[in-house]
Amino acid sequence: MGLIKKVPVYAERIPGGSLVLTTLETVLHQGQAKSLWYLLFGTACCAIELMCTGASRYDFDRLGMIFRASPRQADLIIAAGTITKKMAPRLRRLYDQMAEPRYVIAMGGCTIKGGPFYYDSYAVEKGIDHIVPVDIYIPGCPPRPESLLEGCIHLQEKIKKQKLLDWQEK
Amino acid sequence: MPDLRTEEFVVNMGPHHPSTHGVCRLILTMDGEKVLKIVPVVGYLHRSLEKICENRTYPQCIPILDRFEYVTAMSCNYVFSLAAERLAEIEVPERAEYLRVIMLELNRIASHLIFYGVTAMDIGALTPFLYGLREREMIMDLFEMTCGQRLTFNYIRIGGVAKDIPAEFIPYCRKTVSVIREKLNDYEGLLNENPIWLVRNKNIGVLPPDVGIAYGVSGPSLRASGVDYDLRRDDPYSIYDRFDWKVATRSNGDCYDRYLVRLDEIKQSVRIIEQALDGLPEGPVKAKVSPNFKPPEGETYARVENSRGELGVYIQSDGTKKPYRVKTRGGSFNQLQVLPVIGTGGLIADLVAIFASLDIILPEVDR
Amino acid sequence: MTPDELKDAVAGKLGDKMSLLDTGRMVPMFEISAANLLTVAESLRDDAALKFDYFCNLGAVDKTERFEAVYSVASIVHKHRLDFKVILDHDHPEIDSVQEIWPAANWYEREMWELFGINIRNHHNLTRFLLPDDWDQGNPMRRDWDAPDFEKLPEL
Repeated sequence: MGLIKKVPVYAERIPGGSLVLTTLETVLHQGQAKSLWYLLFGTACCAIELMCTGASRYDFDRLGMIFRASPRQADLIIAAGTITKKMAPRLRRLYDQMAEPRYVIAMGGCTIKGGPFYYDSYAVEKGIDHIVPVDIYIPGCPPRPESLLEGCIHLQEKIKKQKLLDWQEK
Repeated sequence: MPDLRTEEFVVNMGPHHPSTHGVCRLILTMDGEKVLKIVPVVGYLHRSLEKICENRTYPQCIPILDRFEYVTAMSCNYVFSLAAERLAEIEVPERAEYLRVIMLELNRIASHLIFYGVTAMDIGALTPFLYGLREREMIMDLFEMTCGQRLTFNYIRIGGVAKDIPAEFIPYCRKTVSVIREKLNDYEGLLNENPIWLVRNKNIGVLPPDVGIAYGVSGPSLRASGVDYDLRRDDPYSIYDRFDWKVATRSNGDCYDRYLVRLDEIKQSVRIIEQALDGLPEGPVKAKVSPNFKPPEGETYARVENSRGELGVYIQSDGTKKPYRVKTRGGSFNQLQVLPVIGTGGLIADLVAIFASLDIILPEVDR
Repeated sequence: MTPDELKDAVAGKLGDKMSLLDTGRMVPMFEISAANLLTVAESLRDDAALKFDYFCNLGAVDKTERFEAVYSVASIVHKHRLDFKVILDHDHPEIDSVQEIWPAANWYEREMWELFGINIRNHHNLTRFLLPDDWDQGNPMRRDWDAPDFEKLPEL
């Protein structure tokens, strides 16, 4: 509430101060970046770290990130854990059910290139970037919660830099 | 009133569903809210760990098997090392055995805290999740200062442990267990008498002891049905016989008792850790094991008690540095098998409670 | 019972159908012919002194010239454990289902059928288990299995 009380006081001192000029793009992307709701899509070990990030100590909510169980309410899919050949079509389907604009974070080695299961495995998909387009890659096996937080901050930067018409052309 | 025309319908629960703890798919035949038939479909996390282990040396298998049961990865490290030590008849130093017990029990507490939070969240209470994972972070700190990882440790190795604990471990560990002992009152206060929790859990999903044994259910899920069977005592391994602790059992076998048994187990684990810290001897932490570890020909099935029941590894050695065959067995594999037996005939909302109370995680099923 | 006592007890009761192998470590390992599997399994479960009522594990091993199915069973009351294996022909591997005796064996047998291609007699639910629904590349856990996108770890 402090902000609402103080801002008019300072704004009055500037000539034309109660008027703020900015672009629609900035406002829209600020809003988008600060309220990224992610889909609860955890398959393996990384899902536990995703849970820890959402819990008490790391507190995902301060980035405006709240989990959603339904893809239709989510902006972001954090692919946490190994994607197998049996799971890959389901990931694509969940991605297709999300509304534009939508983003993907590949969390952990498995989603980047198969991770420890690259060799000798007959069942693991070697990277998810040929199933869905990936925006941010977070390495680690599993990545620490801090890495995930930083990955999400990078995604916010990316959203703020994009042009208004970008997502339409996708 | 004329009879309403009703018909059965099929509901697909999963593979992406928040209360299936990963990627399990249940095909349910429903009559209104009532579940008539349950067909579990698994394999969405089948990563072929057994095939990978065939082409790795024995020490290289341990980090792969870390991912087999990542919630209690210490016991995966341990059970593989145990089987390899039995094949090669290696004596483990005293200090290493104590450190192993401390780590295994800390990991058991961490896993039960996840159970506590996630089960409550499935039933609709979000607060226990935040409480449970807060104390779990202290245990994660302990693991991190010991081996540098939070989930997949690669700490327990063949012949001992990877390295000694740092100096600040023991005071922080004592603090952690005393905090957990204290906070257990909070956990119990939040849920034990909660009317919603009681209605959702009491007399739901009763597992009779004979059905549990026939389907191979193990661990806390079986002990909640009154079967006094704990591998730490009944198939002795490591040094559990030196400590004073009790096997936690309950008698009703419903969801509520399965939850209580796990809270009791946290108390017993705290007792074991405190005694192990008191008795921790000085000395080496690893027996002399060559990097080209080659056990003689032979085969063995080793099993330990982890937080979900019997965790087993079968190794067949042909005398080379790679195991000829590794077969893993997790408790959840059998717990999911018994789900259609005890879940059929109930409501779909109860099915979620039963699934959560059996503490099924899918990597143990799919491997 | 200690492993040695158990060895004698099993050999005394079922010695004509089971032969002791020396490969087992810590726990006795026996061999059974495929024809005797069901009768032996039933007496192991029902005998009052043995009472192996708990099914621990079942895994197949591909030895390239033969298959081995390795069973581990335990007793809740007597707290002892026993392993036994059945040797199967490599060209036409076939084994009886033990799920009438131990219901827990159901999924272990399904897994064995799918990954190794061992046919299970009297098993009523041999359907796709761990592999994708549209899998058409055979039984991947066999030693000679190969596929175009299957990469082996390079030797260093």
